[in-house]
Amino acid sequence: MLDLPINEAVTLADLTRDPYPIYKRMRAETPVVRMAQTNRILVTRAEHTKWIKETPEIFSSDDPTTPMKPAFQAQTLMRKDGAEHRAERMAMQPAFSPKVIRTDWADLYTRLAEDYVSRLPRGETVDLFRDLCGPIAARILAHMLGLDEASDEDMQRWSQTLIDGAGNFGYDPKLFELSDAANAEMNALFDSLISRHRAEPNNSAFSTMLNARNPIPMSQVYANLKIAIGGGINEPRDALATIVYGLLTNPDQFEEVKRQALWEDAFEEGVRWVAPIQVSGRRTTQEVQIGDVFVGPGEAVMTIQASANRDETIYGEDGELFNIFRDKHPHQAFGSGPHHCAGAQVARRTLGQIMLPLLFDRFPNMTLDDPAKVIWSGFGFRGPLNLPVTLN
Amino acid sequence: MVKLIFENAQGSRQIVDARVGDNIMFTAVSNGIAEVVGECGGAAMCATCHVYLSPELAEIADPKQEIETEMLDCAAAEVTDFSRLGCQVQITAEMEGMVVHLPESQV
Repeated sequence: MLDLPINEAVTLADLTRDPYPIYKRMRAETPVVRMAQTNRILVTRAEHTKWIKETPEIFSSDDPTTPMKPAFQAQTLMRKDGAEHRAERMAMQPAFSPKVIRTDWADLYTRLAEDYVSRLPRGETVDLFRDLCGPIAARILAHMLGLDEASDEDMQRWSQTLIDGAGNFGYDPKLFELSDAANAEMNALFDSLISRHRAEPNNSAFSTMLNARNPIPMSQVYANLKIAIGGGINEPRDALATIVYGLLTNPDQFEEVKRQALWEDAFEEGVRWVAPIQVSGRRTTQEVQIGDVFVGPGEAVMTIQASANRDETIYGEDGELFNIFRDKHPHQAFGSGPHHCAGAQVARRTLGQIMLPLLFDRFPNMTLDDPAKVIWSGFGFRGPLNLPVTLN
Repeated sequence: MVKLIFENAQGSRQIVDARVGDNIMFTAVSNGIAEVVGECGGAAMCATCHVYLSPELAEIADPKQEIETEMLDCAAAEVTDFSRLGCQVQITAEMEGMVVHLPESQV
């Protein structure tokens, strides 16, 4: 048995800029390691990250000191375990089910996607990240949650503010002031929509939770909506931008994908390659052995699914590359265990079956003229910050 | 070990050796049955291990708990009286030679 190694060199800034070479080295040399700067234990191999997420008795999501609590003004289901977590999760899960996607959302999302794509100017160079990926993700989520009245700008701003607050590990009061203001705006909107959802129930998350036979407390209804806002825009946004980047920088694959309509494969490979949610936090409830090392109780463990998704033992030596033709293996972009992404099916259908085919049907000869101009960023959440494409 | 037969929507069959006490999802995934995904790893949280038990198998399997019924509602393929989440069905010695039908799609 080995002592837990400590990495004094790696910083959050390094991981935000370009984490993948660092993770590759960690997988090989120190797959379980304490990162000195954050005092958190990073776990980078696929077998360990999967096991940790599937073992909530030892690796709890409950974190009493999480900045998520002040940011969301509630302890959300993301930081709960067991029956309590399941009850809150299942209260809104029906809104995200394949059945409801089929009956309620597919037609609407197709119309929305057509609308947003048709606004893009043919022949011009635009920032697809800003002009499509963000707004369409916001609009789709607004409808799914039953918050149709919220603007794309509001949804995106609330989302980012909640994320900034939830990541405010330094407890900077300014960031919580901003999240408090966003909470007040969201609460006011939710308050105003209750009567509509009671009078005209639909299959949105808000209606589903409000009109359930045994509804969860209103405070948790609101917290769930906020979690969905904080966690439901940047993932599809970043996934879309990442997949478009992957296709446009691999012309051979792009041609084959168009020829064979392999949009769902493109989706899976994109989220494997750069998982929009790269990292998840858990807290040990007891001493536990991970790989060759012992970790004590009460330790903050970060599972790095970004790294698991490129693990050589599963993907061989070319896991660093975007390759939609690689052998199919399950990836961990949606996590595993009780907190497996509630939006996984919605994301697959919305992007893989609606958005990607529609976008490239309209602009089959889209190009990314200078990939070096694309800025990638993010430790917890990752994706391009811009995507200057020419639309043809 | 018992023999379990997985039959896909096109009718093609694969016989696997299943360990008594394992669940159907784990057995399928570890034997490379591609029609079972099991993305959440057995937490009854993703409905990507949806299977249809044959009537004889349904007869002897442990009954569904509420959490399973709830999650099955989120399965991609049609849900019938014989639908189960594979992760919630434990394999017993009596299941020797029985058939598990696979849906068209899990996502």
